[in-house]
Amino acid sequence: MSLKKGVPTADMGRDERHYSTELAVIGSGLAGFAASVFALSRGITCAQVGNTGAVAYTTGYFDLLGYCQDQWLDDPWRGLELLRESEPHHPLSRIDRKEIRAAFDQFTVALTEMGVGYTAPADRNHFALTPAGTVKPTLSVPETMLSGIEARKVNARTLVIDILGLQGFSAKEFVANMRSSWPQLSAAKLSFPDMESGGQVFPEVMARALEVSSNRERFAERIKAVLGDAQLVGMPAIMGVHHPDRVHAELQRLVGVPLFEIPTMPPAVPGIRLREMFEQAFPAKGLTLVPQQKVKRLELEAGRVMLYLRDSFGEMVIESKTAILATGRFLSGGLKAERVGVREALMGIPVIQPGSRADWYRQDYFDPLGHPVNRSGVEVDSRFRPLGPDGEPVSDRLFAAGILLAHQDWVRQRCGAGVAIASAYKAVEAAARLLQEQ
Amino acid sequence: MRSVLANTGSIIDFKAKADELLPDGASYDSCLNCGLCSSGCPASGLEGMDPRRFIRMAMLGMNEELSSTPWVWTCTQCKRCMYICPMSIDVSLLVGLARGAWPEDKKPSGIVRSCQAQLLDSGTSAMGLRSEDFIEIIEETVDEVRQEDERFKDIQAPVDKQGAYFFVNQNSREPAAEPEEMAPLWKIFQYVGADWTYASTGWAAENFCMFTGDDAAWERMVRQRVDAVNDLGCKVWVNTECGHSFYTIWKGVERFGLEANFEMGSLVSYYAQWIREGKLPVNSDWNTQGLKFTLQDPCQLVRKSIGDPVADDLRFVARKLVGEENFIDMQPCRSANYCCGGGGGFLQAGMKEQRHAYGKRKFDQIMTTEAGYVLTPCHNCHSQIEDIGGHFGGDYHVVHYWTLICLSLGILGENERKYLGPDLAEVGL
Amino acid sequence: MERSLNPVKAGGIETFETEVLIIGGGVTGTGVMRDLALRGIHCLLIDRRDLNAGASGGNHGLLHSGGRYASSDSETAAECRQEGEILKRVAPDCIDDCGGLFVAVEGDDPGFAERFPGYCDAAGIDCESLSPAEAREREPVLSDKLFAAYSIPDATVDPFRITLENVNHAQQLTDSLFLPHTGVEGFEIEDGAITGVLCRNTKTGGMRRILARQVVNAAGAWAMDVARRAGCSDVRLLYSKGTLIISNTRVTDRVINRLRPPGDGDILVPGGTVSLLGTTSDNVDDLEDIRPTVAEVERVLVEGTAMMPCLETTRFIRAFSGVRPLLLAQNGADGRSASRGFTLFDHQDQGLENFATVTGGKLTTFRLMAEKTGDLVAGRLGNSQPCKTATEPLPSGNAVRWTEPGFAPRFWYRRNDPTDMILCECEMVPQSAVDSIIESAPGAEAEMSLQAIGVRSRVGKGSCQGAFCSIRVTSHLYDRGVYDSEQGLNSMRDFLSGRFKGVQPVLWGEQMPQIELSEALHCSLMGLDQLGGKADEPEKGGTDR
Repeated sequence: MSLKKGVPTADMGRDERHYSTELAVIGSGLAGFAASVFALSRGITCAQVGNTGAVAYTTGYFDLLGYCQDQWLDDPWRGLELLRESEPHHPLSRIDRKEIRAAFDQFTVALTEMGVGYTAPADRNHFALTPAGTVKPTLSVPETMLSGIEARKVNARTLVIDILGLQGFSAKEFVANMRSSWPQLSAAKLSFPDMESGGQVFPEVMARALEVSSNRERFAERIKAVLGDAQLVGMPAIMGVHHPDRVHAELQRLVGVPLFEIPTMPPAVPGIRLREMFEQAFPAKGLTLVPQQKVKRLELEAGRVMLYLRDSFGEMVIESKTAILATGRFLSGGLKAERVGVREALMGIPVIQPGSRADWYRQDYFDPLGHPVNRSGVEVDSRFRPLGPDGEPVSDRLFAAGILLAHQDWVRQRCGAGVAIASAYKAVEAAARLLQEQ
Repeated sequence: MRSVLANTGSIIDFKAKADELLPDGASYDSCLNCGLCSSGCPASGLEGMDPRRFIRMAMLGMNEELSSTPWVWTCTQCKRCMYICPMSIDVSLLVGLARGAWPEDKKPSGIVRSCQAQLLDSGTSAMGLRSEDFIEIIEETVDEVRQEDERFKDIQAPVDKQGAYFFVNQNSREPAAEPEEMAPLWKIFQYVGADWTYASTGWAAENFCMFTGDDAAWERMVRQRVDAVNDLGCKVWVNTECGHSFYTIWKGVERFGLEANFEMGSLVSYYAQWIREGKLPVNSDWNTQGLKFTLQDPCQLVRKSIGDPVADDLRFVARKLVGEENFIDMQPCRSANYCCGGGGGFLQAGMKEQRHAYGKRKFDQIMTTEAGYVLTPCHNCHSQIEDIGGHFGGDYHVVHYWTLICLSLGILGENERKYLGPDLAEVGL
Repeated sequence: MERSLNPVKAGGIETFETEVLIIGGGVTGTGVMRDLALRGIHCLLIDRRDLNAGASGGNHGLLHSGGRYASSDSETAAECRQEGEILKRVAPDCIDDCGGLFVAVEGDDPGFAERFPGYCDAAGIDCESLSPAEAREREPVLSDKLFAAYSIPDATVDPFRITLENVNHAQQLTDSLFLPHTGVEGFEIEDGAITGVLCRNTKTGGMRRILARQVVNAAGAWAMDVARRAGCSDVRLLYSKGTLIISNTRVTDRVINRLRPPGDGDILVPGGTVSLLGTTSDNVDDLEDIRPTVAEVERVLVEGTAMMPCLETTRFIRAFSGVRPLLLAQNGADGRSASRGFTLFDHQDQGLENFATVTGGKLTTFRLMAEKTGDLVAGRLGNSQPCKTATEPLPSGNAVRWTEPGFAPRFWYRRNDPTDMILCECEMVPQSAVDSIIESAPGAEAEMSLQAIGVRSRVGKGSCQGAFCSIRVTSHLYDRGVYDSEQGLNSMRDFLSGRFKGVQPVLWGEQMPQIELSEALHCSLMGLDQLGGKADEPEKGGTDR
């Protein structure tokens, strides 16, 4: 890969910057990040472009599959079998279980190495904690959140704290809704050091403050003051943005009991952690990251894919041998919903979708069946190449991954990370094969 | 806390204006109200405002409030909100509009005075330094350097050298207040054999007119400088490591459609190039104490202008200078870096309490690195980071690149060490 | 007769006593309540759901100048004009006197446009002729295909604010009371008089008996149903469903009417910070599960776009439907041509001497409807006080100001209290607003639902349609101890389900990222799709704004 050498200067012709690479990953959500992780581990040179849209909103939990055939899944692997029976077109039904596992393993190990510890995927789902005091089935969780999940199982005497000025997170709410399955819970409210005014405080700001040792010490003192006989303490996810595991360990040492995080509503720390970790780690690994810019145009040429984009400094071109489309759905801009139908935003690839707008949604918002439009998306072949209007791959070098794919409802099925990670794995594998063949 | 500042002037229709100014496809209407902007903004909570609220109030038609809120002077227009917004919504555009609508006599006088000073003399110095004085100071300082260091007995600081490769804009702070701080850069230029010049018009690097929201004055400033570069026929415009000075000229040329027959570059990128080419053989051998350094990415240079490529150069040079293991990044950094609170004219706005509150995040970031030194190419960052260090009790020093480069090369004079701590006072003398 | 505020529990039935029971918490029922209270009469107001749950919450909030009816129904037009003038005087806080335009675009009948000033003249409505250029100068988003335009004195009114103010004032005057979720089950009739009304608390399922000397049926579209339960067959209504859509921001300063006979998509009404485009008119047979549809949205949008091409790319955040109770004329008229006038039934000929039904009419004429009803009822009670609503200004109560778009942010901004955190960021509703509502708004009760707070404020009415604020408000209510069980989450789920009814038909474009994020928040983060508790009964008879 080469950046046109020399000093970046702005002249009036606005010289375009030109990068060349083996794989271009379009999209900076979970699927895009996973694709880059897999590509780098295979030694493929890689450029990644895209707005980090939905990833900023994640709980931090990586779901594989939580809901299928009208039931909540304790065993997601068994769930995949059910899924294969009832939904053979689901992206996860088209990937071998062993490969899904390998993808999850590799991805979570990579994250842990990059500084945000994740639990290794196991045979069973965790029933992870939500800020509402409900639980959700998920496969892999940040290390900072694990002990709360374990504590609930054994009804450990646990104090949940919330923070003065932090909106949308109430320890009382958590306790009120969790009480039936976890009677030994209690709630307390603390103020955060230097943020005692009673005005609004953001998790991100507290998380960054807790990276400073003196702030940690002061906060730990406040926790200890309300600790009582609690064996554990749960709190909103604020234990650092960078190296949360270090902040977590340090705080636990200071407080003297195990601590755990509970996700919060956006703008929340778990997503910001992932995003900043990738933005930090990828360039260091030699990946060309063009953050926060969307590809304006993609052209398929003989033997290469050309991406055209523009940032504040001017035009940019990425020339790549292969590309993975991981642009997400409506929230991240991969799909556009117009009054007459859903279209794929970058290239106009055909989108599988309901017949008309009147069929997009069911009447009940919380209908357990989910909404038909959520299953719209791009169709791919067995090599995860998106299909054109003729049912043939749009190109040999173009692959697709993530929730852009059709036939899945990542929200209702609790399968967002599963689809993202596993399909990215397959798409990278297919791209690698093509690169090898040449 | 809410400032006593208040706009009693005209009221703008923000939504209508935004619809006019935004590029095709961009829209404030696409805001999801998620709050990532506010969460990531150091000005959130000041004057009761934050970026999300600013957008919402514009959409709700609260033009009177937005036209009068002093918050617009605490927002440094650093565009971090836009950078992290999934919908790429640009709040700073509206802030610029609001600033411009304030009557001159109600705007923070420090910013206005700086801009007025720039308009008074063709030198465009915000500190009111006239061109003839600037030239005289250069001459005196050149003499001193020549006398002090045998190796630089022939050093030059050319003014109005026709056809020189580099045209250098000089921040006024050095000639006006600490002329000896100009010398390290001259030494570097001599070391690499650069063909460069100052100019007798449009020589200053700062541009406070942009911060007043007065587009006409901003344009005048840029035009003066562009003309000066064009007249001398220089190939490349650079400045004294500064951020906003780069942004104002680069953006100004585009925005006002000026004809600039030269390229604009960041000096730090040239440091990087000279190091790669072997012309600037710096190393970290001097750092025997293992002193730790961190780096402030100037928003105006990195996020708002060149982006991560220049952030890479800043790091490349820093690592070469202080040693790989002694360089610690602040988090977040590069294009995602926090503004320190010195930009956008905040330093000159007289809102000290707010500026300190803003700078608390930067202070925490620096404290987390446990570095003893902060490299700040930008002059505004330099002042603000020194100030918050003093205010919050941070035990660190703030330095420009040129100081460390000369230190590393063993050519940093005794009186050029104002910003070094005692631990480096004697090193390499 | 003794009047009692405190229910007496006997045999598991709560008993209430009052002078006048009013059935129906819409603008008419609350108007009657205030009218009577101003005459010193104690009232009990009940609604099966809540205030403005029917057409009063499902309209465009137009304070008619009368221009719309000038061509077809000059009597109604004149009535609208007179009532509009009165309301502008007595309730200025509830009214945006923004003015209106009637505009004709290419394809519209030039003859109608020419005759329009004559129609207005006949009804006494001021009407100023504008050149197309003048009209577009006033409202730049108007189509360049405009060929005729008139300026008329239309205004808008906040129907929620009016209703809340009515109840609040009546409470102050005579300790009158409003009971939400109290639906009529049956009437106890003896000797040609209603002696008691049996009701069910639709929230708890418990029974309530209300003893009243007079009973007023102001149940709007349900008036026929209520009357029949009392054995009266004289109320015959036509149900006309109307659908409107709400934009994210205000599109025009003035009301924009299409200069042609009434039809779909012929009006854009500013609603403070937003605009409302409507309206369809379709006869429906029953009142159950009235919801806006994609097809209706398309109809109003296509028509509206002819007047204002920018509507093609405008972000719409919500649709809603109301059912107009139209009095059935002799010949089976359709919804558009049926009278917009109202009728007061004294039911004398049905053999009842203390029962009255008032229905039909319009938001603009609610005061007049209440006056006529008040005259009848007060007379029957032997109360000779005259009606005072035409001159007595509506006071502005503390807990009832939060429905006005743009009020909360201005209040919050001026108050400048950083600890008064904003719970709904879209509409900038601060904590203090929610606190005052749960403490003292009409219909406030323990474990107040999010829906009830929404009716009394702008919570959930902005571009995110409750996605974020529902979470923040719920946490705040748990923190305050309003909720201490799963009820808070159930309330959030019901609130969001209700919001979705209106969101669903306008999901495209910029609203799609929003809903995708909402679903992720509500299902994936909060787990609301897997709550154990039973969902509330689905909304019936309309979707409010």
